[in-house]
Amino acid sequence: MSPDGTAGKPVPQVQLTIDGVAVSVPQGTTIFDAARINGIPIPTLCHQQNENPIGVCRVCVVEAGPKLAASCIRQAEQGMVVKTNTEQVVGVRKTLVELLMSDHPSPCARQQHSGDCELERMAEQAGVQHPRFPKKVTPRGKDESSIAIAVDHEACILCERCIRGCDDIRHNWVLARRGKGYQAGIAFDTNLPMGSSSCVSCGECMVSCPTGALTNRAVVGTKLPGQAVDPDSLLGLPIFKNVSGTFLELNSHAVVERRFRAGDIICREGDFGATAFYILEGKVDVFLSSPIAHVKTQDSGRGFLSKLKSLLAPRANDPRTEEVDRPFIPIDASVDLPYDNPIAELGPGELFGEMTCMSYYPRSATVRAKTDCTMLEMLRNVLDIMQRNKNFRDQLDRTYRKRALDSHLRSVPVLASLTPEFIDHLREHVELVRFAPGQVICRQGEPGDSFYLVRLGFVKVSEHRPGGDMVLAYLARGGYFGEIALLGGIARTATCTALDHVEVVRIPGEDFQLMLDKFPAIRQKLEAAAAERIEANRQRAMQVANVPVEQFLNQGLMEAQSLLILDLERCTRCDQCVRACADAHDGVSRLIREGLRFDKYLVATSCRQCRDPLCMVGCPVGSIRRRNSLEVIIEDWCIGCGQCANNCPYGNINMHPFPVEQDDPTYPGRRIASVKVKATSCDLCLDHEEPSCVYACPHDAAHRVNPPEFFAGLLKQRSTGMKG
Amino acid sequence: MRIDETHRKWFIGSVIGLAVALVVYIPYSRSSPQGATGGSVMGLVYGSVGSAFMLFAGLLGLRKKFPIWRIGRAQAWMRGHLWLGFLAFPIILLHGGFHFGGALTTTLMWLFIIVFVSGIFGAILQHYMPRLTTERIPMETIYEQIERVRAQLMEEAAKLVEEAVDALAGNLEKATAEERACSASAGTMGGLTVASGLQVDEEAAVELRGFFTREIQPFLQHVGSRGPALSDPGRAEALFRQLRVLLPGNVRSTVDDLENVCEEKRQLDQQRRYHTVLHGWLLVHIPISYALLLLGAVHAVIALRY
Repeated sequence: MSPDGTAGKPVPQVQLTIDGVAVSVPQGTTIFDAARINGIPIPTLCHQQNENPIGVCRVCVVEAGPKLAASCIRQAEQGMVVKTNTEQVVGVRKTLVELLMSDHPSPCARQQHSGDCELERMAEQAGVQHPRFPKKVTPRGKDESSIAIAVDHEACILCERCIRGCDDIRHNWVLARRGKGYQAGIAFDTNLPMGSSSCVSCGECMVSCPTGALTNRAVVGTKLPGQAVDPDSLLGLPIFKNVSGTFLELNSHAVVERRFRAGDIICREGDFGATAFYILEGKVDVFLSSPIAHVKTQDSGRGFLSKLKSLLAPRANDPRTEEVDRPFIPIDASVDLPYDNPIAELGPGELFGEMTCMSYYPRSATVRAKTDCTMLEMLRNVLDIMQRNKNFRDQLDRTYRKRALDSHLRSVPVLASLTPEFIDHLREHVELVRFAPGQVICRQGEPGDSFYLVRLGFVKVSEHRPGGDMVLAYLARGGYFGEIALLGGIARTATCTALDHVEVVRIPGEDFQLMLDKFPAIRQKLEAAAAERIEANRQRAMQVANVPVEQFLNQGLMEAQSLLILDLERCTRCDQCVRACADAHDGVSRLIREGLRFDKYLVATSCRQCRDPLCMVGCPVGSIRRRNSLEVIIEDWCIGCGQCANNCPYGNINMHPFPVEQDDPTYPGRRIASVKVKATSCDLCLDHEEPSCVYACPHDAAHRVNPPEFFAGLLKQRSTGMKG
Repeated sequence: MRIDETHRKWFIGSVIGLAVALVVYIPYSRSSPQGATGGSVMGLVYGSVGSAFMLFAGLLGLRKKFPIWRIGRAQAWMRGHLWLGFLAFPIILLHGGFHFGGALTTTLMWLFIIVFVSGIFGAILQHYMPRLTTERIPMETIYEQIERVRAQLMEEAAKLVEEAVDALAGNLEKATAEERACSASAGTMGGLTVASGLQVDEEAAVELRGFFTREIQPFLQHVGSRGPALSDPGRAEALFRQLRVLLPGNVRSTVDDLENVCEEKRQLDQQRRYHTVLHGWLLVHIPISYALLLLGAVHAVIALRY
């Protein structure tokens, strides 16, 4: 029985005439449906057959008796005479289209890409080439925060088809109306950017939209090699459940099936890519082929012929101060690699290459098929859909808890002593949470309720101070935050923001307390680490407060720990410093005589050991970090991708080539000579008493200085001079 | 290298050295029946000391070839080069008793004069030119990169002109936000500021493009500082002032940018000139120094042997 209790009862029919044709329809049918059922077309924009009519565009206007009415909401009545194409109706419809076109950027994105913008097609049919009304370019803007769907609010005609698709059809309840007048538009959640909202990227809104307001963000110019998978087959996979078939059809080349034979290399460490792989069948080996060693420069000569030589040294042979004895190397997959033997296995249902796909970071490891395997290779718009899919998330979550949580926790030195029993306890309690670029994870001043471990992406830790925010650190995979507030029972001391697509492991406050109670050694280590962080932040704040900040911050000089400066009134531009640097480092200069100027000084391009080291953002294996002294250190597992060198705004990181032997991919078992690069930065010629650049300057122009001291002294001199 | 208070020790040492040389020379010269000669014992001492100073000064070039050899800081070598090289000249004069002697020694003395004078000239240049360069060329780049930067400026100017021409032709998509904001037809509607279009001025577009082909392009392509009108800052200012009058307000910022591009090119030309001056004297100083050392060695062998 139906809810209204009409089951079994015949529905009364109404007879009416549409464009001279007598028709009979069940009572309650709209004029629009009555015409449609009888093959009489009525144009419309805001109405779709599968949605409830709301009658906002009025384009479906018809003459119903003596009056004009929106046919999509007006019900048919007994004896009604409807005319859909009179001169008056056509005129009104044309005016409505003209008005809509005057507020529509033509051609909109849909019209440009596929030529099927319903409004523009209708305008063309109605002969509305140039609306009589002046175009009003209203500043409603675009939203490109979503990877899968582009939002152009200016092309929106407020038909609400997307809202009904999201709410009534998919029951996602993300979309709604916002604003009034010219500012009216569609909004995601509480008017958040689409990428940061709870949108699951099902694609229903985009499929519903009649114009270019919501369009598919296909990855332009990319057609993946491999066998395209038809949407029906994809929808048959549990991980694609609830995804719009039309959406998958529009992205047919963005996800392909790839088959690899045992031994095939699927991707190589350091290569740039834009795809992620999901294993359907078979197994793969994930490993690092770069030598696990850092670049060490040491004095190779004797006496006055002394020269520096760069060589590769593993941490067992060359332990460095404040070296973290990290047992695992973080990579862009669900597992970490052991430092001693960097290889792991992945199997069906596992995903790798997520960071490469979402944030275009270089591949973090080499992946080789262990058995014949089949996998889905996908671009970021498809991965984004999957990431937002509950089934897929659940599967990834389960895999992570089962396979990676253990090594991830143990890779954090302070948590290395956790017992397997407690890790099993955490397995059930931790939560994996994703954040979009720019999204705040926790805010300074808020009460601390969780401890976070970074699983994917990079997190910026900043502190709000009068005059602006100050970056305290960038945290990569394996980094943690939130412990200071929990340990001290105080509010958050800093704001943590996702720099790119970030995923964190959230350990609730209660479990964190339980861990501290059960493992006093961990408490001690965390307390010591927290005290160190607080002290480092305090000192940094003092340094900034004690010098004339505004003069240095503009040029970023206060960020530096140590600067190579050239007194331009002494420097004859002879480049002896550059030559000396190259001579000292096997022909690879680590400085360029170009850079920022302050007063009569040139701050030469040489590592400044910045306090805000952008070089650390994007390292796919997290091998670049800072010592507590803030000096930059590049760990042994640098894969030589060059991301840090590209990121350094001052061009201060160089890639140093080293001859190595590696497996011949063509003939397994054979070794071939090859060249691998490793990142290096200025080491101040530590094996020498004085940096080579300074030593070789014949004009007493090059100096290594501590910026706060040097510039503060300089300003003091100046002010004394002015007073005098 | 600036010769300032940090050279005090070298200066005092050199003055003392010279004074000692003179003090010894006066009695020696008076007591010698034929006056001071290079072949006497004292003459040979002066010759040896002078030659040693010259040799040390000459070794600076070699020192620079091996910048990281730990054989003393390069600036100490440079100071030694300056002051010992300076001192070598009066000592060699004392060595010859202020006579130039035969053909070889006269040649040597003239070479030495050239080396000495060019050295002093170079020292003066190195004292003043770096400061001048720093003050007058704020957009200085690495000398070897000048050609590359010039090519970049050319590209930048062409792009600026194309964008502005697009804007003037009413191409809304290609117009910058600033050009839209400066659009003459911007107004308010419903309480909101709206830019309803760009100021379309095709004549202005033709004028701008003409100015680019006529003035800017030849100037940016031209290597060297003389020639095109824009090489002269005064004329350049006048030309750009005139251009601003001819163009509508929404492309003024483009004209400013083009003027900056031309200013940077002028600075690069100036840097090239300064660089030539600052390092050009070495083309005289270095080869003649080597010739001097070589002929000096020949002179020593001949004098001691025969």
